[in-house]
Amino acid sequence: MITLENVSVRYAKGDPWALDDVSVDIQRGEFVFVVGVSGSGKSSLIRLIILERAVTKGRVLVAGNDLSTMPRRHVPRLRRGVGTVFQDFRLLSGKTVYQNVAYVLQVLGTKPHMIKQLVPETLELVGLEGKGKRLPHELSGGEQQRVAIARAMVNKPPILLADEPTGNLDPETSQEIVAILDRINRSGTTVVMATHDTTIVDTFRKRVVQLSDGVIIRDQADGQYVDTQVGEGS
Amino acid sequence: MRLGFLFGEVANGLRRNTAMFVSVVLVTMVSVFFMGGGLLAQQQASLSKGYWYDRVQVTIFLCTPNATEVAACVGGAATQEQRDQIESDLESLSPLVEDYFYESNDEAYDRFREQFRNSPALDTIPQEAIPESFRVQLSDPSKYDVIAGAFQGTPGVDDVVDQRDLVQRLAAFLNVVTFGAVALAVAMLICALLLIGTTIRLTAWSRRRETNIMRMVGASAFTLYVPFIIETVLATLLGSLLALALLYGVVEYGITGYLSDLLAGQSGLVSLIGTSELFFLAPFLVGGAVLLAVITSWFALRRYVRV
Repeated sequence: MITLENVSVRYAKGDPWALDDVSVDIQRGEFVFVVGVSGSGKSSLIRLIILERAVTKGRVLVAGNDLSTMPRRHVPRLRRGVGTVFQDFRLLSGKTVYQNVAYVLQVLGTKPHMIKQLVPETLELVGLEGKGKRLPHELSGGEQQRVAIARAMVNKPPILLADEPTGNLDPETSQEIVAILDRINRSGTTVVMATHDTTIVDTFRKRVVQLSDGVIIRDQADGQYVDTQVGEGS
Repeated sequence: MRLGFLFGEVANGLRRNTAMFVSVVLVTMVSVFFMGGGLLAQQQASLSKGYWYDRVQVTIFLCTPNATEVAACVGGAATQEQRDQIESDLESLSPLVEDYFYESNDEAYDRFREQFRNSPALDTIPQEAIPESFRVQLSDPSKYDVIAGAFQGTPGVDDVVDQRDLVQRLAAFLNVVTFGAVALAVAMLICALLLIGTTIRLTAWSRRRETNIMRMVGASAFTLYVPFIIETVLATLLGSLLALALLYGVVEYGITGYLSDLLAGQSGLVSLIGTSELFFLAPFLVGGAVLLAVITSWFALRRYVRV
């Protein structure tokens, strides 16, 4: 589904590499935690997948499309197939929960009767049924992040990217949010989540790709945040 | 993107950005007004030129009783014999002389009184000071020299005047007006384009949340740009329509209403532009303004709104 082949990224000539010769292959339907400290390259990796930035060297394939040769005009189509969720929610403050989610479909030209069907459905998926008329500032952080997830999922993309989605939330709420992502993953959506939340990673026991200074230092199925094998050895 | 949603977004944008919208409207109005004014002045110039060129080109003024300082007029007022001689000379100059007519002293005086009916000096000018004349129309207006050579110095002829001089002076004046108006229009146009660019930049900034979300969910460049472009088109459309209304006022009340009244005495001598010229120009002015606005906003959007 998502393949990085010897990918290197740097933001300007002479800068250190944000990603350095990274190769990783994520299968359809997988749930992957990308972990590492701040500045380790997690966000860079996420941003490559939606072409928010281009690779300096190497190749990125998403759903069979080579992003380095993809014409600019096809980028919107790529992004329609990838839902994104961020740490800071990025909701429109003047619009209600319902309108925030419907906005995506309106922008994409979905027919009104489809919008009327899809939005409540998606709000139910994230556990926000009955809160459609609230404004973002009337919601808790966890609820706002649920709105953001609903917005990312409302047009049913096959891939969901989450860049530190629990970064602004307390531990309990974080668990709830990742549980929702887990549920979405079980229905077949590929989920890639960047995080440095150890508890989350240890609780959910998914594949872990660990980055350090732009290099993959571990890629382990059912992993924990700290690599126990490395820990035992030292 | 559906139309209802699109216009909702545009209305939202306008509400949040009223000041910028109004400034684009006003700057467009001023630039289109000057552009239109310049083009109308140009039309007036060619209109009066064409009109005069088709009519009287050369006037042969005959001697008045008091014009004795001119050699050909030492005998005082032109005699019947001299008039007959000039007339037959004019006949012999056919086909260069296409047509001519004689204006007697009475007719000339009547026209003079009509022209200067508001002037206090009118009563101090005696009738005999107004010369009788031959008005000559040439088949080739540029061959004034031939006529001047033939009649300058002929007994009974006070002076031969090329009327095109007057026309050319009027045309030169109108050219200056045109140049000034178009230069102002160009300056204002540059202002308008820069303002549109700046407006889009500011609007893009104030709407970066929306555009970012639109980008993230895969809105095409067209979808991202369209609300901005519709807003700019609305502003320029409104501005140029206001400018047309102003120009209409100037033409209808200033030229047709006032100036032609003022020149009523010379009716038939000066022909003025009217609203029909403005109506002819209107679609070009509005279309040009809108087209330029669209092109400018497209470039600004490519620069300030990332897809």
